[in-house]
Amino acid sequence: MEPQLSWYLALSAVLFTIGVTGVIIKRNVIAMFMCIELMLNAVNLTFVAFASFFQDVIGQLFVFIVMTVAAAEAAVGLGIIIAIFRNRESLDVDEASILKL
Amino acid sequence: MLALLFILFAGMAIGCALAVVAQRNPLYSAISLVGVFISLACLYVTLAAPFIAAVQVIVYAGAIMVLVVFVIMLLNVEQEERGRNRLKFLVPTAIVLAGVLIAEVAFMLFSVNNPTPAVSNIGLTSSIGTQLFTRYLLPFEITSILLLMAIVGAMTLARRGGLLSADARVIPGAQQLPRSLVDPRATPDDLRLVETDSTVEAGRLLGIDQRNTQKD
Repeated sequence: MEPQLSWYLALSAVLFTIGVTGVIIKRNVIAMFMCIELMLNAVNLTFVAFASFFQDVIGQLFVFIVMTVAAAEAAVGLGIIIAIFRNRESLDVDEASILKL
Repeated sequence: MLALLFILFAGMAIGCALAVVAQRNPLYSAISLVGVFISLACLYVTLAAPFIAAVQVIVYAGAIMVLVVFVIMLLNVEQEERGRNRLKFLVPTAIVLAGVLIAEVAFMLFSVNNPTPAVSNIGLTSSIGTQLFTRYLLPFEITSILLLMAIVGAMTLARRGGLLSADARVIPGAQQLPRSLVDPRATPDDLRLVETDSTVEAGRLLGIDQRNTQKD
């Protein structure tokens, strides 16, 4: 039996949900960041599955661009995390509820 | 055969994803996340997308996760202490939403009509490159601008506050500093410059303790 498109979509939905759950329940900002990466990957899986099943290269191009955005997000996001840690000595997002540094 | 591989790697991906959320130590979360990336790369291979699979391993599992692990170790994150449950009122909502998700997944599994996959060359590097450099050239260029902005932004954020004032000019080799910065008696509109030949000399003129700056 060949894997069906719906299998990949279901897997992607499950991974995305796990990522959302992580963002909601985690309090460490780096752990939240990693859960966001997980959500981006779930979306990438959907794109690749559709590209493969519909014989269209655009899906894979989009994955390429999503990866670039993820890399940019990692660079800027970790810079922000370091700046917050330097000012607050803590990575707890509850303690960083005031945006003013 | 492909179904067997799908079940294997999907199980690995879900297990590692659950571990990412369940672990209290961020470093273990990061390692589990690498597991998710690797198993997703294997799934991409079964979907006939070898280029994306390779980029997934190199960029995600390689570059991004190394950056994350580096920051975790740099900040010396302590283990997340078991805290109070601040989401008590959200538990019923979560149960309802989980039910909705399960219903959606079941709907997808049973009602989406499945096109048959055909052997093709859409996932090959050459076909992706051809499209990327002809028809989709504009998104590609915008991506490069985005990366440039990210580099500048990361540098700006991670930089420690400047030691020199805004009107100080630093030129490699011969550094020129406004006299008002060095000499407290000089009037602010004294525009004569003081020249130094090295960073150490400039620091001495400005009264910055070298040991302190090196420790930072």
